[in-house]
Amino acid sequence: MKVRVVRSGGFAGVERHGESDSDRDPVLAGLVGRVDLGALPPPGRIPDQYQYDIEIDGVGATVGETQLSGPLRELVHHVLGRPR
Amino acid sequence: MRCTIVPPHILERVAEADDPALRDIARRSLALSSGARAERHAYTVRPAEPNEDFVPNRTIADAGHKETLPGRTVRTEGGRETGDKVADQAYAWLGTTFDFYEAAYRRNSIDGAGMKLLSTVHYGKDYDNAFWNGHQMVYGDGDGTLFVEFTGALDVTGHELTHGVTQHTANLDYYGQAGALNESVSDVFGSLVKQWHKGQTADQADWLIGQGILAPGVHGEGLRSLKAPGTAYDDPKLGKDPQPGTMDKYVQTYRDNGGVHINSGIPNHAFYLVATSIGGHAWEKSGKIWYDTLTGGKLANKADFAAFAGATVATAARLYGDGADETKAVRSAWKKVGVKI
Repeated sequence: MKVRVVRSGGFAGVERHGESDSDRDPVLAGLVGRVDLGALPPPGRIPDQYQYDIEIDGVGATVGETQLSGPLRELVHHVLGRPR
Repeated sequence: MRCTIVPPHILERVAEADDPALRDIARRSLALSSGARAERHAYTVRPAEPNEDFVPNRTIADAGHKETLPGRTVRTEGGRETGDKVADQAYAWLGTTFDFYEAAYRRNSIDGAGMKLLSTVHYGKDYDNAFWNGHQMVYGDGDGTLFVEFTGALDVTGHELTHGVTQHTANLDYYGQAGALNESVSDVFGSLVKQWHKGQTADQADWLIGQGILAPGVHGEGLRSLKAPGTAYDDPKLGKDPQPGTMDKYVQTYRDNGGVHINSGIPNHAFYLVATSIGGHAWEKSGKIWYDTLTGGKLANKADFAAFAGATVATAARLYGDGADETKAVRSAWKKVGVKI
């Protein structure tokens, strides 16, 4: 599964992009199954916090920094560590 | 001295209580009430005596590179230096920003009623950010490659504290044009705190945000420029400053809450044009027009650029007269950036 992450916002407003494919990325393969993008609440609008757009096989969600926890947090940081 | 008679003071006291359950309920209620416009404008803050000296009530906490707030308290108001230059710098800049709001606009802290100022430093690991979470300021140390400590720049503290002022006044929605205005107001007063601290006139100021927080070797003067949006940095690792300075370059995006850190360049530049046209110390007349517009109670929390522009013209006319040079400067600035009133 193809996973894309875009981080936007933050005080600096500098975007970061990352992309990976679970077929060739065993760490990612172990994480995607533990993440349910449909179960996330809408992002909070907190001044200068990061906003993350996450897309797994074409299905996307937008989350705020404070909502990142557990496997979703690991997935986001893992994919952003692999710049597109 | 602290102003009193703010109805939510009981909630605020409970919000600092020892019982975590009670505290959370109170804090949620406070967050809700700060978002309820009608209720908020019913609050009456006792007018300060003309010579009343406002005194800050600062607390600095250390997150120890974790992402848990607020962290361990390391310094409270009047306390001795900690020896940690990051914590002590955060304490000093909070004081400077507090003094700026008192000296320039007779404002007593974030809420106008002596609210406690809480900052957490050393937040997260290699954390390239600073933010206002609705209750407090939070600062990362940077990763050392792109950014260094966010506590270093006075305008960053001015920017974050002003998010609190906005929350307690116009409460501009953090999305789209209202969100870009929220960001812009934080940049404007962030820059003004620095200008006030340095005693600079509009033509002497650098009009940069985040000067000094870019790591050595990064090509840039800062993160944003009110004087020339889009020119603050251009670096292989960081990218290029994406800010427009005029409406024809307005960026439509759903990212960054609808481009709040991008399109803020347009109202930022309008303020710069007003300040340099009026001349002198920008926090005096130009800043007063923006401050009164933000805090006057008439601005809708979903205000777009045109609504805000119209409100600044009305404020200028009320303060200086409809045909005054100051009011003409405001009209002309919005016209130059392409915002129709």
